[in-house]
Amino acid sequence: MDGYLVVAASVIVSGVLVGTIYAVVAAGLSLIHGTILMPQASNGQIFLGAGLVLWWLQTQAGWPLWLAVPAVIAAGLALVFSLELLVFRRFYARADRSITYLVVTLGLAQMLSGLYIGAFGRISDTFSVPPPARGYAFIDPTPVSNARLLAFTAAATVLCALIAFLRLHRFGRALRAVFQNRDVARLRGIDIISTYRLALGLGTAVTTVGGMLYAVAFTLDLTVGWTMTLITFSIMIVGGPGSVLGALCVGLVFGFTQAIVSVFADPTIATFAYLLAMLAMLFLRPNGLFSR
Amino acid sequence: MTTNVRKATGRVIATGASVALLAVASIGIEASAAATLRVGWNSELSGAWTFTGGACLDAAKLALDEVNANGKRVELVIQDNQTNPAQAAAAARLLDAQEKVTLISGTTNSDTSLAIYGFAEDNHLPFLVPVAAFPRLTKPGTRETFRMEPDAVGWGYVAAKFFKSLKPNATIGIMSSDFAVNRAILAGLKYQAEKDGLKIVSEIVFPQTATDATVQVAQMKALHPDFVYVAGASAFDATLTHQLIDFGFKPEQLYHPFGAPKQILAWGESSAGSYYGTFFDHNLPNLTENGRRFVDAFRKAKGYSPGYQENFCYATVHFLGEIADKASAGRDQAREVLRGADSKEITTGVPIQFDESGARTEYMYVMQLKSVGKDDFTATKSSYLEWSAKTLPIYDLAP
Repeated sequence: MDGYLVVAASVIVSGVLVGTIYAVVAAGLSLIHGTILMPQASNGQIFLGAGLVLWWLQTQAGWPLWLAVPAVIAAGLALVFSLELLVFRRFYARADRSITYLVVTLGLAQMLSGLYIGAFGRISDTFSVPPPARGYAFIDPTPVSNARLLAFTAAATVLCALIAFLRLHRFGRALRAVFQNRDVARLRGIDIISTYRLALGLGTAVTTVGGMLYAVAFTLDLTVGWTMTLITFSIMIVGGPGSVLGALCVGLVFGFTQAIVSVFADPTIATFAYLLAMLAMLFLRPNGLFSR
Repeated sequence: MTTNVRKATGRVIATGASVALLAVASIGIEASAAATLRVGWNSELSGAWTFTGGACLDAAKLALDEVNANGKRVELVIQDNQTNPAQAAAAARLLDAQEKVTLISGTTNSDTSLAIYGFAEDNHLPFLVPVAAFPRLTKPGTRETFRMEPDAVGWGYVAAKFFKSLKPNATIGIMSSDFAVNRAILAGLKYQAEKDGLKIVSEIVFPQTATDATVQVAQMKALHPDFVYVAGASAFDATLTHQLIDFGFKPEQLYHPFGAPKQILAWGESSAGSYYGTFFDHNLPNLTENGRRFVDAFRKAKGYSPGYQENFCYATVHFLGEIADKASAGRDQAREVLRGADSKEITTGVPIQFDESGARTEYMYVMQLKSVGKDDFTATKSSYLEWSAKTLPIYDLAP
């Protein structure tokens, strides 16, 4: 009986933790695509880069966590705003910019991936950040490390803050107005280009936070960026581009599907079971669960 | 007339002297070329295996400096195969046709090694593999390929033998990622476990993209195995280890079939007490003087202690230095020297001998981790096994 309880509780722990972290990264992607119509294919590599830079700052440069975290976010923002200045802004006015952005960001993803292999791949092939909290707590009767609990709490806080910002703050409402109809938003006096930049910055900051939380909860290697790109694109499409709530709900569906199927089936089937769940959701709501 | 005869005689003498001089010079050139063994170093210097290929080359260069300290005996012609089998075969072709190397070496990956294996066997080019454990590389009938790293099926054999030595009739749980070398290790483990009366209570195999094992670890915990065999792919190996320990498994219950330094550091300090298989460790008590020098030099250069992969590359170049005199005479001679090799690893004294299909005499150490710090770890030797490749039906078991 005790064994069944442990397994049942582990489903909840795994579903919530994995789902919430993936939802954070997907929310970053969703904000950018929902606003700018930019399928940011390098989002997974920015996620990975955040984890790798956090690892480097902490283990190689000896920075404390409180200093390393804002430095990583700042580095992510510096990267995307440089790209915005050099590349992204050139296509804001194009009606068919989605495909252009897809090609540009895929190229960027390849370059970042190569850069990580060149820079970090020579130092190690696995990257574990020092746990920010020691020991473990019990979600009765399942033990969970305090570091992972901390990662979950931070992820949930980021998502709640993001939802509150989009609903309550005037800049957040401007973003939502552009999600819904950029022509009407323009007529209402919203500066569309500034809103695009806000979405790009906010989405990237959220993605870098997701990368750091993932590095705290799990261990990184240089392939995880591509895996994350696939997962977060799936979550964004099913949740509805631009919807943080959609990313959260579908992220949790992803986490729980994987955890529940793990109880009955092979991990390989469980890992890909989320695709079936997502296909089922798309069958019911072809434009995404929370589409505008 | 006399003048003409003199002129003709002079021309003949001059021509003869030139020919003789040229002959002497060419003998000199040949003699000097014969002293240097040209080796095509076809390795993973970019792509997914950058870290291993780069570390291997660093260790090889340390050995190269030592081997060539008193004259150039070995020359490495380096080619990056980008961790890509097609590129590895293309690089082998270039090393063969353009660089005219005597043999190829340098790979650290089974997939690229298999690609070169095909080329080497077809083109009669000796191939000395430093690091690659996939059994097919030395399947019966292999003529050109010789391997420094014992095959992966044997690693599973060692795991079973070790479990039995700790507890006869032990129950084993398996948690591993699905990749070719791991399938070979598991084949050896299952084969020997059955023979030795060990019981495998659960086998959970993860896809290579898996990131979390919370539920599976809970399921494993519910089965109360005596030992858990842990072999995750890349970063998942550390995640799996952390989650098993978080769930209450004692480190002494965990066995990793292989442990490389960066991998061990990623397991973290809470894994102290767990066991891992290896072919070299800087904590080994039987390191030779040269072995200790290698550890110090490598640590000074790279900031971490070398593991079995780095050691295979270092030992390979030293071994090439040993055979350079005979092997540099040509590919046929190189093949024969490799086939008849009876040497010892310069760092540990473990024998280097190959059977008729190029497989090395099998051996493995099992180490117990004692402490894990930021940049280094300590471990003690728990056991050492040496056996013949014929002890197990390796090529029937290997996938």
